[in-house]
Amino acid sequence: MTWGSTAPEAILSGVFALMDRVLPFAFAEPAFMKRALLALLLTAPPAAALGVPLVQHRMAFFSDAIGHSAFTGVALGVLLGVSPTWTMVAFGILVAAAIASVKGRTGLSSDTVIGVFFSTAVALGIAVISRRKGLTRNLQAFLYGDPLAVSDAEILWMAAIFLLVCCCLFFLYNRILLLGIHEGFARAKGVRAKSVEVSFAVVVALVVTAAIRSVGILLVTALLVIPAATARNVARSAASALWISVGVAAFSGLAGIVASWHLDTAAGATVVLCAAACFAVSALVRAAFPGG
Amino acid sequence: MTSCEHLHTLEIRNLTVRRGGVEILSGIDADIRCGEVTAVVGPNGAGKTTLLLAILGQVPYTGEIRFCRAAEHGEGAPRIGYVPQRLDLDPGAPVTVGDFFALSSQRRPVFLGASRGTREATRASLERAGVGHLAATPLGRLSGGELQRVLFALALRDSPDILLLDEPVSGVDVAGEERFCEFLSKVQRDSRFSLLLVSHDLSVVTRHADRVICLNRRLVCSGATTEVLTPENLAAMYGADAHLFRHARADGHGHLHDGEAR
Repeated sequence: MTWGSTAPEAILSGVFALMDRVLPFAFAEPAFMKRALLALLLTAPPAAALGVPLVQHRMAFFSDAIGHSAFTGVALGVLLGVSPTWTMVAFGILVAAAIASVKGRTGLSSDTVIGVFFSTAVALGIAVISRRKGLTRNLQAFLYGDPLAVSDAEILWMAAIFLLVCCCLFFLYNRILLLGIHEGFARAKGVRAKSVEVSFAVVVALVVTAAIRSVGILLVTALLVIPAATARNVARSAASALWISVGVAAFSGLAGIVASWHLDTAAGATVVLCAAACFAVSALVRAAFPGG
Repeated sequence: MTSCEHLHTLEIRNLTVRRGGVEILSGIDADIRCGEVTAVVGPNGAGKTTLLLAILGQVPYTGEIRFCRAAEHGEGAPRIGYVPQRLDLDPGAPVTVGDFFALSSQRRPVFLGASRGTREATRASLERAGVGHLAATPLGRLSGGELQRVLFALALRDSPDILLLDEPVSGVDVAGEERFCEFLSKVQRDSRFSLLLVSHDLSVVTRHADRVICLNRRLVCSGATTEVLTPENLAAMYGADAHLFRHARADGHGHLHDGEAR
């Protein structure tokens, strides 16, 4: 491993060599499969971790809105001739911060505020695309996602977001969860609700936009919501909820990639189906042990 | 105890709260005295909870809320404990009572577990509130009375100077209400915080409060419980529904401050 070099290939080749030893299977042999695995393991677990407070705050629609506004970010990037990845992230953060800061300042419920921003953003995206013919092909990769087409540079970018999310979770988790339990109580305990909510929204936007490359705009909410919902079915404490959610995400990422290799199905969608299967099992467990 | 006998711990002067162009509270003057139980009474929509939120600094207001304390009791901002009216908890939330304590006290994220200090403080305050066995119970499984105790234990953990209780006995049955009031008076005797209690239940107020603040968007009256809760004042607050008062007085036994010099 050549740590001295900052070139993405140099760093990743070391990681790939390690993966060859840990995963000596046929499916993990091609480099694109290793990248797909890395992409999913770097984005799905942090998405699932954020999903726990997200579900507690009933913000599933919010993450969906960020995912869909990413579509506009990509369209803007292509139109302006800059990397769509960057415009997608920037636009996602912008929409997230806007929703989080407007929410609660109007007499409207939060899903209404999200609905307004969400449809405006998507309408803007469609308007931008309609001016340029031939743009749609470019967007397809973002709409459906494809972890098999992730580049080395994107892997490193996902790794950076992974580290950032871990830091944010460390400093933000208690406050965002307490806010989700009872806002007035959290405020009385000194939680600055607005700034915590806006920071959380921005972190969610980062994770959503990072995960879009793997599972696509249409399915990205699944990575946040399904593992967290699974955890909620079976967890009793805050710690177990987070670790079960993260575990379900990591398992689904791995199992989904393997299954898609053997079944020749779209990788992102297969990962989401694996998570859904985990959810089904957890629902059965809950039904079998209602008191558990 | 004598040092702060007649010190006003909280002075509220000309407090006005507006929301959406409507005055929810206007020109309130009131004092909350050290070590006493002050009840806030008034009909629905009188601004009782808003008064608590103003003291907590959670709603914008004009006027003054001043905290004073005797020099020997230390300096700095007052520690205000708050027990909200009811936690509208999501019953499926995977959060235990212990998690709830950890969430509001420790820096370490709860998914890495509670620190030893947190665990010990949690156990001690839960035991003090008589609910030591509930630490591992999910919040959604608590009964109304248990939740009340847990919230109260949490508010007491930080040894508050002032404790704000919003409708402490709502959602609790009569026996539970009696137990809670007895427990409250015991703890308050031991710790001598000032207690500000919002209640619509005049029997609780007449039995346990030293002083009463009657609100109906304005200050209707305030003073010692026995002097203030007159049929005339109640009529001014609730309309002509003064029969509430007679009902409330039917069994006036036990006083929160029995045996204390006043």
